Amino acid sequence: DMQAAAEPADSGGDGGPPQVAGKDAARPEDRMTLLLRLRAQTKQQLLEYKSMIDANEEKTPEQIMQEKQIEAKIEELENEIEDVKIAFEIKKLALDSLLMDNMKQILNLNKLIMKSQQDTWDLEEKLLDVRKKRLQLKQASESKLLEIQTEKNKQKDDLENMENSEKIKTIQQNLQREIQITTVIQHMFQNLILGSKANWAEDSALKEIVLQLEKNLTTIQ
Amino acid sequence: MSVLRPLDKLPGLNTATILLVGTEDALLQQLADSMLREDCTSELRVHLANSLPLPSTVARPRIDLIVFVINLHSKHSLRKVEESLHHVDATFFLGKVSFLVTGAGRESHCSIHRNTVVKLAHTYRSPLLFCDLEIEDFRATMAQRLVRMLQICAGHVPGVSALSLLSLMRISENPSLEDL
Repeated sequence: DMQAAAEPADSGGDGGPPQVAGKDAARPEDRMTLLLRLRAQTKQQLLEYKSMIDANEEKTPEQIMQEKQIEAKIEELENEIEDVKIAFEIKKLALDSLLMDNMKQILNLNKLIMKSQQDTWDLEEKLLDVRKKRLQLKQASESKLLEIQTEKNKQKDDLENMENSEKIKTIQQNLQREIQITTVIQHMFQNLILGSKANWAEDSALKEIVLQLEKNLTTIQ
Repeated sequence: MSVLRPLDKLPGLNTATILLVGTEDALLQQLADSMLREDCTSELRVHLANSLPLPSTVARPRIDLIVFVINLHSKHSLRKVEESLHHVDATFFLGKVSFLVTGAGRESHCSIHRNTVVKLAHTYRSPLLFCDLEIEDFRATMAQRLVRMLQICAGHVPGVSALSLLSLMRISENPSLEDL
C-alpha cells in the first residue's frame, strides 16, 4: 500500500547551496556549528528515550476503568503537566532576575574599574609631563648658569685686558705724577704755615686748611 | 498485525521522518513536495501511505510524526484513517500524531461533518489542523508548519519535546471543545 517516496530534502551547511556531500567540504567553523547542533539534537533525543523509560516504569492501574473515568484521569494528568510547567517558568524567571542582578552588579563594577584605571593612566601621564618639564628647566638653568659663568669670565678677561692696556698705564703714570706734585705742594704749604709760626689751631679757616693738607693722597689710587 | 511504535528504532543522525497517511494521493504528493522545498537544517524524509499497516518488507527509518489526512468530501478517507489508527501504538499519541483536514472550504461538497473530525481528534488527544491542500499558498504554509512540528517531534529542537508542543497546541484549541 505504500508509495515509497522517500526523498531526502537537502540542507547540509548553514546557508550554503544545499548539498549533502558538501558537509565534509565545509569550512571548519561550519563543521563546528554542525557538530554542536548534532550534539544538542542527540541530547534532546536521549532525554526523550529516558523519559519514555521512566514513564514505562510507572505502574499502570490494574482495574478496568470506564471511559469517562479514563478521560477524567487524562485531563487531571494534563493539568498536572501544565502546573509543573508554570512552576518551572516562574522559577526560571526568578533565577533569571537573580542572574540579571548579578550581571548588572558585575557590569557596574567593571565600569568603575575601567574608570579608575583611566584616571590612574591620566595621572601617570601628568606625572610624566611634570618630570619632563622639571628636566627641561634643569637643563635650561644649567645652560643659563654656564652662560653667566662664561660672561663673568669674559668680563674678568676684559677687565684684565683693560688694566694691561697702554692707555691705562699712561693715565696711571700721569695720576702718579699729579699725586706726587700735589703731595709736594701740600708739604710746601704745610711748611709755610708751620714756618710762619702762626697759631693755626685758633683760626678755624687755617685749621681746616692744615687738616686738609694732611690727607694722604696716595690712597686715591 | 504490525503496530507502529515511536521509539522502537534509533534515530538517524540529523534525520527527521514524517509519514503522511491518506487516500488523496495527489494532495499527499503535493504536500510532500511543498515540505521538501522548505528550508530546513535537518534532513527531511517524507513517506506516503494510503493506509496502515505498512508493509514490513521495506526497511524504513524511525517515524517521528504521523499526519492523518482526511478529506471532508470523502467518507472513504475518514473510514480508512479510522482503520489505520488501530495500527498505531498508544505511545505515538503523545504529540507525534496529528490530523489534517482538507476540503473544509467548499461547504457544499462536504459529506463529513466538521464535528466528526473534531471529536476524532479529541478522542485521540491529538491536534487537529485545517488546510485546503488544493490551494498552493495554504499548502505551502501548512508544509512550513508541518516541518517545524516534525523537527520538534524528531528531537531536533533543544528544550522542546513533542509532548510540550502538544500541550502548547492544546492551549490555543477552541474552548468549545470542552462541550463535547
